[in-house]
Amino acid sequence: MRETALSVPVKVWATACAILGVSLTANTLLTCFLALLAFCQLVFEKRWRLCLTFGVFYLALVLLLYLIRFHSLRMVVFSEFYVLMFYNLMPVFLVAWDLITTPPGQLSAALSKIHTPTPVILGLLVVFRFFPTMKAELKGIRQSMKNRRLTGPVQVLRHPAVTCEYVLVPMLLRCLQIADQLSVSAIARGAQSPGVRGSYYARKLQLADFLWMGIWAIGTILFFIIGGIK
Amino acid sequence: MENAKKWSVKDVITLVLMTVLLIVIQLGLNMVCMVNDFVSMVLSVGISMLVCGPVYFLMVNRIRKRFVSLVYMTLLGLVFLMMGNWFLLPWFIVVGIPAEIILWKGITPNRLTVSWTLSSLLYNGVNLLPIWFFWDTYYSFAVASGMEQSYIDAYVQYYTAPGWVIFILIFTVLCGFLGSLIGRKLIQKHFKKAGVL
Repeated sequence: MRETALSVPVKVWATACAILGVSLTANTLLTCFLALLAFCQLVFEKRWRLCLTFGVFYLALVLLLYLIRFHSLRMVVFSEFYVLMFYNLMPVFLVAWDLITTPPGQLSAALSKIHTPTPVILGLLVVFRFFPTMKAELKGIRQSMKNRRLTGPVQVLRHPAVTCEYVLVPMLLRCLQIADQLSVSAIARGAQSPGVRGSYYARKLQLADFLWMGIWAIGTILFFIIGGIK
Repeated sequence: MENAKKWSVKDVITLVLMTVLLIVIQLGLNMVCMVNDFVSMVLSVGISMLVCGPVYFLMVNRIRKRFVSLVYMTLLGLVFLMMGNWFLLPWFIVVGIPAEIILWKGITPNRLTVSWTLSSLLYNGVNLLPIWFFWDTYYSFAVASGMEQSYIDAYVQYYTAPGWVIFILIFTVLCGFLGSLIGRKLIQKHFKKAGVL
């Protein structure tokens, strides 16, 4: 199978362009142009599922924004402010998501190529693994609380502080344990060895990578010409 | 400081893991508090300081190295930077420095309490800095989003009236202090016994 994913430097470049574009533009509504570019990148990488979920979310945001602007819809729970914020930041979300869902091996390969200190690489990889792990942990805690009949609404409402303790303490303990396990396994795999860090996953820049770098650069400049700089 | 000053892999991983947990808790509570203007503007900082106190205590107690607070605050600032409030990154670095100075000569529960209480007080900069120094940027963004005037009015009302500002400051300091007391208690009750410290 041909590799369709872009290499890490390109994704970083795209993220930088998107952040620059979103934060400097004078016309917030025009950020849909950058979002379009980001969607094109996802399509090029054949990440259909990501494209679909984010696409639906984006369309919903656009619809909400349209209703707020032209039909003075008022929201009850969710402030209008956040609709625009999410709309505005969508290009950044898209490319950043693409970046952080890169397989960790490729990420660390790219980072060690530019001589990032090992603690920083380790930290970044831990951050990316954090959310799935915590989700599983929370599920486990909920299950064990359920087994002890501690999740009923009456129990939770009558003893909110105790409930907090029941959730927080096991979660913190697990966090510490996970940190220990991770560090043991990292050291066992040579995280502290002084030599140059190599990788199985390092790959050279290909034609498509250069192409996309150019597309993002031109796209951002065009975006500034059309939308104006603040 | 009783043990070596060099950071090991274990310290780095613990620090990052706990910091991410802290940030997630803070942002999550913030989101939940959005339901009501009063809760979100007056109480939310205090509540998150209350809940995060124990986590912070555990983190510092576990690692027991210098610069833990500073790195935590810097990472927090980075998250705010990514969310578009660039001025909060330097601010959080500034917040981290007094905490480091307090803990410089060694980590004791009393010093930790002081440092967390002080951090709670300074954490209010998240809400107060925009209105004091960066109001134009913030306001234009808020208006451009078609945000209702009542929200902006409430924001101005709570953060410019001296009475409310003082109440908010006192409330957060109290919550931070309470959070650190709870942290001390939890550490004695659970974590010391479990042998993880």
